[in-house]
Amino acid sequence: MKDLLRILVSPVVWLASFSAIYALHGLICQLDPGASEPFGVSLSRITLIAAFVLAVLVQAGLLALLYSLRFGAAPGFARSVSRMSGWVGLVATLWTLFPTLAVSSCGW
Amino acid sequence: MFITFTAIFVFVMALLALSFRPVGNGVSQASGERLWIIGLGLIFPAVILLCLLAYGLWIGERLLPRSDADVTRIEAEARRWSWRFSYENDPRRSTENVLHIPAGRPVDIEITTADVIHSFWVPRLAGKLDAIPGHVNVLRIEADAPGTYTGLSAEFSGHGYDNHSFAVIAHGPEDWQKFLEGEQ
Amino acid sequence: MNALARHRRLTAIWSSEPGWKGWLSTVNHSDVGRMFIVTASFHFLVGGILAMLIRAQLATPNSAFAGPEIYSQLFTMHGTIMMFLFAIPMIEGLAIYLLPKMLGTRDLAYPRLTAYGYWCYFFGGAMLLISLVFGIAPDGGWFMYPPLTGRIHSPGINTDFWLIGITFVEISAICAAVEFTVSILKYRAPGMTLGKMPVFAWYMLVVSLMILTGFPPLILGSILLELERAFALPFFQVELGGDSLLWQHLFWLFGHPEVYIIFLPAAGMVSTILPVMASTTLLGYRWVVAAAVALAILSFGLWVHHMFTTGIPHMGLAFFSAASTLVAVPTAVQVFAWIGTMWKGTPQLRLPMLHILGFFITFVIGGLTGVMVAVVPFDWQVHDTAFVTAHLHYVLFGGFVFPVLAGIYYWLPLVTGNRRFFRLGKVAFALIFAGFHVTFLAMHWVGLMGQRRRISTYAPEDGWTAINLISSVGGFVLAFGLAVVLIEVVLSFVVRHRAPRNPWGSGMLEWAIPRPSAAYNFASLPRVNSRDPLWDDQNLPVRIARGEGYLGDPASGRRETLMIDSATAEPEQLVIYPANTRLPIVLAAVTGLFFLSLLLKIYLITPLAIAGVVALGWRWVWRLGSKQDLGDQPIGHGVAVPTIAEVSRPPGWWGSVFLLVANATLFGSLLFGYAFLWTIAPGWPPPAFIAPSLPTMLAAAVGAALAVAGVAIAVRTNRNGGTPVSGLLAAVAGALGLVAVFAMMLWSAPPAAGHAYNATVMVLGSYGLVHAALASLMLIFLLARHRAGYMSQRRRGELAIVKVWTMYLAGVTGLVVPAVYLPGLVT
Repeated sequence: MKDLLRILVSPVVWLASFSAIYALHGLICQLDPGASEPFGVSLSRITLIAAFVLAVLVQAGLLALLYSLRFGAAPGFARSVSRMSGWVGLVATLWTLFPTLAVSSCGW
Repeated sequence: MFITFTAIFVFVMALLALSFRPVGNGVSQASGERLWIIGLGLIFPAVILLCLLAYGLWIGERLLPRSDADVTRIEAEARRWSWRFSYENDPRRSTENVLHIPAGRPVDIEITTADVIHSFWVPRLAGKLDAIPGHVNVLRIEADAPGTYTGLSAEFSGHGYDNHSFAVIAHGPEDWQKFLEGEQ
Repeated sequence: MNALARHRRLTAIWSSEPGWKGWLSTVNHSDVGRMFIVTASFHFLVGGILAMLIRAQLATPNSAFAGPEIYSQLFTMHGTIMMFLFAIPMIEGLAIYLLPKMLGTRDLAYPRLTAYGYWCYFFGGAMLLISLVFGIAPDGGWFMYPPLTGRIHSPGINTDFWLIGITFVEISAICAAVEFTVSILKYRAPGMTLGKMPVFAWYMLVVSLMILTGFPPLILGSILLELERAFALPFFQVELGGDSLLWQHLFWLFGHPEVYIIFLPAAGMVSTILPVMASTTLLGYRWVVAAAVALAILSFGLWVHHMFTTGIPHMGLAFFSAASTLVAVPTAVQVFAWIGTMWKGTPQLRLPMLHILGFFITFVIGGLTGVMVAVVPFDWQVHDTAFVTAHLHYVLFGGFVFPVLAGIYYWLPLVTGNRRFFRLGKVAFALIFAGFHVTFLAMHWVGLMGQRRRISTYAPEDGWTAINLISSVGGFVLAFGLAVVLIEVVLSFVVRHRAPRNPWGSGMLEWAIPRPSAAYNFASLPRVNSRDPLWDDQNLPVRIARGEGYLGDPASGRRETLMIDSATAEPEQLVIYPANTRLPIVLAAVTGLFFLSLLLKIYLITPLAIAGVVALGWRWVWRLGSKQDLGDQPIGHGVAVPTIAEVSRPPGWWGSVFLLVANATLFGSLLFGYAFLWTIAPGWPPPAFIAPSLPTMLAAAVGAALAVAGVAIAVRTNRNGGTPVSGLLAAVAGALGLVAVFAMMLWSAPPAAGHAYNATVMVLGSYGLVHAALASLMLIFLLARHRAGYMSQRRRGELAIVKVWTMYLAGVTGLVVPAVYLPGLVT
């Protein structure tokens, strides 16, 4: 069971952060915090980017855990598959959430 | 896009056909994984897909209805099975099943519905956007030249769905002025 | 005991009753699997006939063959039948039949549940087919978007058939998913660790977890929509604080994973069959497993791409567009692992291989058009045109039907014991392949020319006449090919032409059993040391038949198998299965009565049906267990393990955990719906929030604490040799207190039909009420079991199961009570 958890954890955390950031974005567009722009960038974009960076850091941390001797799987099948899925989580976070950096936010 | 995809398809099929060669396939497990899975399975599609994604997002960005002084706003309300268009300059003025727009200028259509979900679609002018109860969706369209275009509802809405369509008439500057003044 | 005597003895223990009556009482996975496959094939036939009617209608312009009223029913039912009554049950049937044989065990984890799932599917499917016969079938499209399907715009019973019938059928999918998950994790041959599992089992494990988390949103959506239709609870009515977009979210939260739930088992079959056809092993087993896991989870992040035209902000679109392109990468990993496997081995063009090639060609095209549709601007053009129809048929027919056909031809000798005699397979393949591509290439084309989906006819001026005619002709060729397959399968049962054991030279365990497959599968359970045990030891079938494995001595006369530790794969528990019983079909019939009473709005019967389900459920669990301690039982090779009644984590504990995963997803979807309506729906905030009641909140906290603590004390005293009665009584008091809390909550709530907020509160309270009542019932059941002598210090399994449900109740209480009262407290 623990091996199964090791294999599933990173992609599941990706799913959670992906849904959370999508919801956060929907919420921001709904509330429309207005044009407060502390550093020339709108507050909503800063929030989204912060969430994105946080999600990436969490994934990197998980990957480090999966590679660590203490929390990683025993050598063999479970170790290699759990590390692969750890990379899947990290790459998926970068790939699917990078629009927070570049794409325009609430327009249609 | 079609050319790239045809090329990919032909490439994959060629690989498939070549696997039936009678001799000399001897792929070892390790080198096989490197070549087939990491090379062809991971890197090859990732590169193509990233390019495609960037291209799609860039086009999408360009299609966004940005605020623009020159933009005309028209409300479109769908119901089973007709469309009513009202024009901002004169709230009393509305047309049924015929949408009048100025040619050569961006137009924002504010789409909503009186009953079920419909979809506003003028194939030659823009993509489609849904009319959803309680929400207003804005679609930017622009006709390059005056003329008549076909508009369709593209979301199944029951038995009258087949003929749920409308016409779009794009006017030149003078005709548009006349239309606004109520002469047409 | 020699092999033949052992075979006879085991057959007597395991087989169903003779004659057709055996079908009604069988709980054997091979029987139920075959029943699933036959019923699913029948539905495929019906769905196929509907497709032919659709193509007949569209073959010519201005066709008067079917009016829009009939045509709407045709395409709605075609989609519904193919998705819910053919594809998913077909997967269930194949996996029910194959998994125990591949895993080296004698049955699935819960044999009676297998049968119950089948009968739910059978009765639910029958409901939908009856509506079709009477011309009152659902007609709002298979996606059932409200408000079109709400009571204002669809007042008839048509939509209710869909919502109630499909929910009934979904029970079977959830049952099967729980069953597969537990069976794959715990019911394997000794020595078969996760890394030595057949790749098909990995795929099915992933798919089962997807069903457990993917189906609940749809079940919730169906419940909410039916509540709106029957009792005017306005979840999707915008005037009263609802939002029709909520349905779209719930539907596609299910709908996109659904596509992969259908595709992944088929990919598992390809991964199993292809290496055998190329006389080699699968290239990159670990990569393929990782790709399947990645694909499964990524597919949950795609649902909004079905809603690209609903006016989602561009960044939201960008997220889902990115995820939709990313999901193609693990698919590509699998495709290239398969092609690499072919390069590694020496592929031979036998019949299953032909269908796999058909799969490759069709699926790669479908995948490429899928990537096109993932690009937002392109999707805006082709969304809801025939292009999308063609794309999804390439993916589903290519990605599902071709592999299933390959699988049918591959495993047919195992089922029938015969080889094919008339050699019609290649003709059938040619017809299917040519017919399919003619039909759907034409459809791509006409879609790009602007033909919308779901129109019942078109005008000659549209210029689509010739293409549509070509498409229809192709469709009929395809149907003809499928008919030939059906004829050949029937013939291979009838014409005796003995197949050799392991005709394809596979290394997997399912070919180590007698053919046609025996009811008990394995005369003794082998120890497995690699993924291809038959290649390690050519003599394995004989040694299994001689009883040289575990449980080779059928002296006890019980249906027995082993549960293993999921990591080390060493024997852990001795499973004693229930034997043939009519309980599943009766319970399914009473469950059906419940759904029927809702459908026909005869609400007097509803409580009776619920009471019937409770009584039968009580009987269901009462029959298990034993009144004495049996102690550790010898299983051969000098090993002894406890029976399932005498461990802390019996099968029922594992099943409860995974059932609660599905249940929690349903509850999570409900909370999501609440939050969604609050933030997105136009009619919020509601006129008034419920005033928080401090006594109720306090009572909820005390009740939940008492229930959890009571069960914990009962478990501890029982472990220490004391009596669990006082702990259980405290827990019952706590759970009954929660029943009162939720009843009060519902009693004091404002009229549910007034606003979506009130309606949501009602559903939340009812959810809590149902779980409190269920936990109370379970705790009372434990008291009765203790009194009747079914519990002891050793026989402690049932306590562990009820503990899980009580803790879940406490969790639900801790979320429902604040969700209902906090808004009133804050504002």
